[in-house]
Amino acid sequence: MEGTANSMSEYLSVLIFIFVGIGSVLFTFFLSRLIRPHNPYKEKSIPYECAELPIGDSWFKFNNRFYIFALMFVIFDVEVVFLFPWAVAFGELGLFALVEMIIFILILFFGLFYAWRKGALKWV
Amino acid sequence: MEFAFPEYNLRLMAPEIFLFLWALLIIAYDVLTKRKSETTAGYLALAGLMITGLILGFTGTGHGFGNMFVSDTAAKFFKIIFLGSAFMAIGSSFGIMREKIVNHRGEFYGLILFSTVGMMFLSSSNELLSLYIGLELTTIPLFVLAAFFKDDKLSVEAGIKYFIVGAFSSALLLYGISFLYGLSGTTDLVQMKINIAITHLTFQNIGVILILAIVLVVAGIGFKLSLPPFHQWVPDVYQGSPTPVAAFLSVGSKAAGLIAFAKIFVNGLFAFHHPDMAPNDWGRLVALLAVAAMILGNTVAIRQTNIKRMLGYSSIAQVGYIMIGIVAMNALGMAAMGFYIFAYMFANMGAFAAVAIVEDKTGSCEISTYSGLARTSPLLSATFAVFLLSLAGIPPLAGFMAKFYIFAAGIQAAQHDPGLYWMYWLVGIALLTTVFAIYYYANIIKQMYFAKEPSPHKVTYNFPALTVLLIGLAGLFVFGIYPEPVLHFASGIASSFGIIP
Repeated sequence: MEGTANSMSEYLSVLIFIFVGIGSVLFTFFLSRLIRPHNPYKEKSIPYECAELPIGDSWFKFNNRFYIFALMFVIFDVEVVFLFPWAVAFGELGLFALVEMIIFILILFFGLFYAWRKGALKWV
Repeated sequence: MEFAFPEYNLRLMAPEIFLFLWALLIIAYDVLTKRKSETTAGYLALAGLMITGLILGFTGTGHGFGNMFVSDTAAKFFKIIFLGSAFMAIGSSFGIMREKIVNHRGEFYGLILFSTVGMMFLSSSNELLSLYIGLELTTIPLFVLAAFFKDDKLSVEAGIKYFIVGAFSSALLLYGISFLYGLSGTTDLVQMKINIAITHLTFQNIGVILILAIVLVVAGIGFKLSLPPFHQWVPDVYQGSPTPVAAFLSVGSKAAGLIAFAKIFVNGLFAFHHPDMAPNDWGRLVALLAVAAMILGNTVAIRQTNIKRMLGYSSIAQVGYIMIGIVAMNALGMAAMGFYIFAYMFANMGAFAAVAIVEDKTGSCEISTYSGLARTSPLLSATFAVFLLSLAGIPPLAGFMAKFYIFAAGIQAAQHDPGLYWMYWLVGIALLTTVFAIYYYANIIKQMYFAKEPSPHKVTYNFPALTVLLIGLAGLFVFGIYPEPVLHFASGIASSFGIIP
């Protein structure tokens, strides 16, 4: 347990890192505020500055169909996140990892199959 | 870099793998056949649980996945309880399947099986993180199951309440686990036990962080176990959720919390039970919560008019009794804890099955519905009375033997160790509150048998629900008269946790 002091200083560096991280963002904002020109007008503050004219407010109720699609997207998005470390370590892990990952993907595909059969992929 | 494969020992995980695939199969079956049959999915689920039980019987003991997955007596004993409670919950769900849940039969059974898989992983985990994941896999399907009557306000409220409380308690538990990891530098429970003990011996005092860890983990698992003051969600959730789900929550989920508690405290914080370790001892803290559970559960249950709320408070009280076995921290205590939850499974699942049968017929869970039921439905009333008497702890039934062993373990701990003299008080309060318990259990029996008017309802049984009633009845009588084999099996729990008899 002689490493106690050491491990504390390791956490201290994390703390410093957090402060430096927040500080650098604030500093950049402050710096850009100093040197940029400040001239807002109506056309500049609409969402699509170039061509598209917005219709109505952006704060309205979205169709909750989007929710299901977003959910399905997140599932496969997270799957890819898991695939990356697997791909990096694949050389050392070999065949067993391949089988494991296939099982993982098959389970997720079962979810897709389920959603498809339930009609969640149809836009009503 | 040399990469060493851990010893996987996949065969130890065979029951879990099978049950998981079976749950997927049930969901797929239900979706593919467009839910034509109202009972097939249920029978499939029952068959799957039975096959899993068989596989569990053939699975040996050992370690797998680099010591993260362990199959020992404690794990196997609790897996039997999880499978049994899932079996009885599904068995009593055929009534609501026919009437209320028309669209999501496969999902209902699939989620119960997923939750069971989570409990089985939990009871096999030998390490804090896999334990946490097991607990999450147990509770997340239960959130959905509690809110399964989507159009029923109470059910949705139950689901949301359970979700918020469950998420909050998981966060507390995880926070506590992170402190334990920080103190010991490992998530392996046995290694943690050694490391924390070494730290304590080296510095003579481990500091306040361990208290924080103990309090957070007690709170986190206390929510799942419904130990006061973390019990407020219980009556509302039990009342709102479908009756078989409430039954599963009261037995399966509680047994899961119990094994998680035992793993972290009895095994991981083995040395910190005794008051000599003050202020880093958890024994007195848990004993205090157990006293609160017994007093609060038993007294508040008296005032309830809804039978599911009453059974909810009674289950709070029952956890208080079980905790005496854990606080005793001796071989008999562990065996008694196992036997208690085993007997409790038969009695409570049976009682909820009876409630479900009455609810299917009358649509009501009020205690007044049971008035005069003995004249029109003698079989149901008799079995229900037996379940309630076993919960109260009346002699020839298993509930009595369970309470007897628990109290014996408490007394034994107090006799062997002068530092644990307060165990006498604990057992004394337990005995006293048992008397309250008999009052409100007997009150229902009085309603059923001694009402002047016969009940206007005559219940009808479906085959699986009747089987559940008979299983409960048989279990209570057989293991009440002849508890030795179960007790013998349960005595292996102690050695799984490193307690030498």
